[in-house]
Amino acid sequence: MAITFIDVVNLLINGCIEGLLIALPTLALTLVMGIARFPNAATGDYMTLSAYAGIGVQALGTTSILLAGLGAIAAGAALSIVFYLWVFRALRGRAPVASLVASIGVAFFARSMLTLFVGHDQHTFAIPLVRAWNFGGIRLLPTDLYVAAVALLAMLLLFAMLHLTPIGRQMRAIADNPDLARACGIRSGRVLLALWATVGVLCALGGMMFGIKAVVSPEFGWELLIPAFAAMIVGGIGSPVGAVVGAVLLGVASELSVPIVGPSYKIAVAFGLLLLVLLVRPRGLFGRALVAR
Amino acid sequence: MSSPITRRDVLLAGAGLAAASTLPRVAFAQDAGTFRIGTLCPITGAGSPFGSGMQKSIEAIVAEVNAAGGAGGRKLELFNEDSQTKPDAAVLAAKKLIEVNKVQAILGTWSSGVTLAVMPLTEAAGIIEMNCSGAPSISTLDTKDLVWRFQATNDRFGQAFAVIAEKRGYKRPATMAFNNASGIGNAEGFKKAWEKKGGKVVAGVVYEPNRPSYRTELQQVLAQKPDVIVTGSYLPDSTIILREWYQSGQPTQWIMPGWAANPDLVKAVGNEVVEGLISVDSVSNENAQSYKAYGAAYQKAAGKEGSTNVYAAMTWDMVMCLALAMEAAGRGATVAQINAKIRDVANPEGTKVYTFAEGKKLLGEKKKINYEGASSRLDFDQYGDVTPDFGMFVIEKGVLVRRDVISI
Repeated sequence: MAITFIDVVNLLINGCIEGLLIALPTLALTLVMGIARFPNAATGDYMTLSAYAGIGVQALGTTSILLAGLGAIAAGAALSIVFYLWVFRALRGRAPVASLVASIGVAFFARSMLTLFVGHDQHTFAIPLVRAWNFGGIRLLPTDLYVAAVALLAMLLLFAMLHLTPIGRQMRAIADNPDLARACGIRSGRVLLALWATVGVLCALGGMMFGIKAVVSPEFGWELLIPAFAAMIVGGIGSPVGAVVGAVLLGVASELSVPIVGPSYKIAVAFGLLLLVLLVRPRGLFGRALVAR
Repeated sequence: MSSPITRRDVLLAGAGLAAASTLPRVAFAQDAGTFRIGTLCPITGAGSPFGSGMQKSIEAIVAEVNAAGGAGGRKLELFNEDSQTKPDAAVLAAKKLIEVNKVQAILGTWSSGVTLAVMPLTEAAGIIEMNCSGAPSISTLDTKDLVWRFQATNDRFGQAFAVIAEKRGYKRPATMAFNNASGIGNAEGFKKAWEKKGGKVVAGVVYEPNRPSYRTELQQVLAQKPDVIVTGSYLPDSTIILREWYQSGQPTQWIMPGWAANPDLVKAVGNEVVEGLISVDSVSNENAQSYKAYGAAYQKAAGKEGSTNVYAAMTWDMVMCLALAMEAAGRGATVAQINAKIRDVANPEGTKVYTFAEGKKLLGEKKKINYEGASSRLDFDQYGDVTPDFGMFVIEKGVLVRRDVISI
């Protein structure tokens, strides 16, 4: 099969959309990694539960995707804060592995509670299906544009928060040097609450966007965890810009490889790229060298 | 330094001896008393729409067999585990069933990946394995003839797809397959059968599970302008693929296996998208008495009609075959001796029977029986595979309507 320019453009579009989708949970991962300093394995399940909250809102009788989204965001933020206050706060100051193991437990707990009450059936959001816009073979899906716009907007708001507001500045200060931040009188309790709320919102948006594009099932968030981890590592651990760039890069690379290696191996290509980046730049594209203490 | 032996010591030793001497006897009595069956149905994961029903069906028929006095002088005892439709989880569960519960048969594995992962364990333990999986390789990997398949192989599904595609006059078929033994088996089976008929498959892709989008894969297939796409797929991926295909706006037709194209798919994507889609599934042996018995029991156990779960009819037949084989093998038979009787009680030559009580009575009179199953006629070939009939369902206004029954 000959590959035309149009095919490549279509692949590029698919890759960008998939990348932007993964970028949301990657941002949530990298923020926790940078500020609370542990890999949060429950990130995917926050997405799942938020998406189910959105489905729940629609099940009440509304077809409004906006209301569903707001429900998901509220649920995501609440969930994330509850688990912080309940589990992760008690583990602060311990080795990161304690929080990591706890987060795996939180993930299992959250998923099991979900399946206990709603079962294992798949769900979909009630959204009208619209035909793609066709520009001479280049196909653009309105749904995809919507997903991309929401993801971009969320990132814009996140970066505005991190760089333009006092709480964002404090977050970055803690990420840079927790001891120095504390010495400067930054109250980490408040900052961490804000962090977990942000993480919850990011996960909720990621979950909603995934649910709109694909299907909502109890395992989908957990399955997205590995790609999100890979994107975080490529971009550089703890770097929000790196998270977005890493996710889009992996998405585009894997889609563009399809005509060459076929769809079965596109994931392998993404991980090949991960290896390559780590060989050349072990700290990731935008990461800083971490010093083990 | 010597210490006198007190009365207490003697008593203690005596009690210990007495206790020790009873131990092996207790264990022996347990072995002879029950036949231990492990169930490994897909309660969670991709098979979850069917798994609970499959297990309930097994529980119902086991209760029936036990109520009829058990089989071969033994009661059946169940140990339930969840395969999660995942090979790794299923292997752990199977190990537990074999090593801790000491089961003598494992029933109800559903996805081919799970069955293929569990088979080496059951074979090593020398116990019976009964499944609803389709992967062709299961037939040949079963070297000790301990594996029994109650579902049509994917190869046979592929043949049925090809018959339907030919009947419907399609000329340019393409395939899309979920990357596992079953998905690829369907697509390959179709390709083989179609090329035997002198046709050509214009495109084929194998795609990965758990992706948010399959646009790229669709793009590759649709570029060849197929008039029909034959899939080896499951429900979640089919949902995504159909939605993205519909949105792409390029006309084509679809032939899908019934475990993907079911009422849940219609609910997920809406009537308009699936209008005219062809769903193919093995059909139960609906006119048989055994099917009626199963249907009544399933209604009672699961609160749904028996026709909503073809796999529950298969698991019903699993216990039935096993129990009848135990009865035929007689008291105290080993697993191997029971296994050797399965074809004897299910295959032709012999009086047709439909319930356990009937079979038990005739076997007691030393007559040859032929159990006609609820899921199919249940005649096992040399690989332990069966050949059910296939139903061709067309989705019309959101309802699956059976338009044809295909025998291959």
